[in-house]
Amino acid sequence: MVSYTYGKTLLKVDDVSLEYDGRPILKHVTAEIKDIICPDHVQGQVVGFLGPSGIGKTQLFRIIAGLNKPTSGRVTINGQDRPVQAGEVGVVAQDYPLFEHRTVMSNLLLAANQKEKDDKAARAKVVQYLTEFDLLDKASLYPVQLSGGQRQRCAIIQQILCSEHFLLMDEPFSGLDLLMLEKTSELIQKVANMDDLNTIIVVTHDITAAAAVADHLWLMGRDHDARGNPLPGSHIVETYDLIERDLCWNPRIITEPRFVDFVREVKERFRSL
Amino acid sequence: MNQAIEVFSPNRVISKQTVRWMVGFQLVLLFCIWFFSPTVFLPKPKEVWQALGEMWMEGLGGELITSFVLNLEAIALAAVLSLLMAYLTVIPFFRPIVTLLSKLRFLSMVGLTFFFTLMATTGHELKLYLLVFSVSVFFVTGMAEVVASIPKGEFDLARTLRMNEWRVVYEVVILGQADKAFEVLRQNAAMGWMMLTMVEGISRSEGGVGAMLLNQNKHFHLPAVFAIQLSILLLGLAQDYGIGLLRDVFCPYADLTLERK
Repeated sequence: MVSYTYGKTLLKVDDVSLEYDGRPILKHVTAEIKDIICPDHVQGQVVGFLGPSGIGKTQLFRIIAGLNKPTSGRVTINGQDRPVQAGEVGVVAQDYPLFEHRTVMSNLLLAANQKEKDDKAARAKVVQYLTEFDLLDKASLYPVQLSGGQRQRCAIIQQILCSEHFLLMDEPFSGLDLLMLEKTSELIQKVANMDDLNTIIVVTHDITAAAAVADHLWLMGRDHDARGNPLPGSHIVETYDLIERDLCWNPRIITEPRFVDFVREVKERFRSL
Repeated sequence: MNQAIEVFSPNRVISKQTVRWMVGFQLVLLFCIWFFSPTVFLPKPKEVWQALGEMWMEGLGGELITSFVLNLEAIALAAVLSLLMAYLTVIPFFRPIVTLLSKLRFLSMVGLTFFFTLMATTGHELKLYLLVFSVSVFFVTGMAEVVASIPKGEFDLARTLRMNEWRVVYEVVILGQADKAFEVLRQNAAMGWMMLTMVEGISRSEGGVGAMLLNQNKHFHLPAVFAIQLSILLLGLAQDYGIGLLRDVFCPYADLTLERK
């Protein structure tokens, strides 16, 4: 087992509730992500965020991204004493949005310039990422000319260039074949491990893929009354620490019986939500 | 043979050479129908050609320039005003105003002449105001619709890149919809020509191709009417091509996803 310790809290969802027209959507959602420190290598954080459809994942996703405000509670990052603001947490939506009227280079420069004050430094950073993600020869193309995988990488780079080490990914495994699913998992790991502070939250329905890539899993659901009927307002009902269970940072983990058992356990819990 | 079948099959992408052959054939066919038509009210190509020569000698070229300049002025002014109004719909206060403006497209131009006459000091100004108004009410309707139909995801993308709301408007609404703005401009510039003849008929002080057309129409000189219409059509097509060219230069990404590009 790899030795590790937990450092400071990087992201905190602090008693977040959300109501629409008096109807509770989220109720007292609390969760946090701590910096994982491995003494001998760079280790970022990956959280798999699971939950049934319509449970409010997207609402919490938008609140974490700073795009929506909760009715009460707040989300903070890097120990700051203020709610997160749009732009501080990168968002990669399911369809990998990019500005269609800008080339790949222009899309990335736009993002880099929002954070870097010096244009030369911004360009250097963009070139570095394009090289790293094998996209340098695509710099002059428009997004519509990219393949699905290239577009995915470009959208991730754009958000990483602009955010404070945080990235929210919405359903990155949706509709992918096995090969692309593995590539996407590798990409997530690669981005996470580019910096100790890089933190990725993957919102997905795919329990196996999430468990294979994440170090923690958040399971969102509702409480039930005595008759078993769901009560309004979702929250994170379960958090799984995969490091503690020695189920992460191992590319071959998905073939091991204990991983299969763990996925079964999560699926059972998922069904009860 | 296969290509002949393809031109009659749905959703087929045909080669440029086939397009040339097809259009050439259609033009010849159209010309033949025109040439051999038994209708006495349809002037023959030769008559139209002769009339065109005569009209040219009477100053058709100059009138075309007068009308073209007037139309260009009107389109430029209408484009600036309409784009501004459409972009202002991002601010809730302006939405009812723009909605009201777009409803004015149901009004008849003739009914507005009196008010514009009071405002204008010259005949040219009157025509310009009438044209700008007529084009703008349609332009603003089309462009406001473009702005209203921008998906939420595009705004969110800009926000996640730390843009303030004014920058979001510039990036998503102005830059992001530039190709569609050119398309709306193209449609409405064509409409300008349609209205031009009416406007030049209302105020004939400056002449123009519209006044010329109405004169010929009044005296039932059909070959001359056809000759003028043909000239307007050619000039309109050139204008349409020019706007299309501008769109291709400034928005080269616009047609990349089209099947029939």
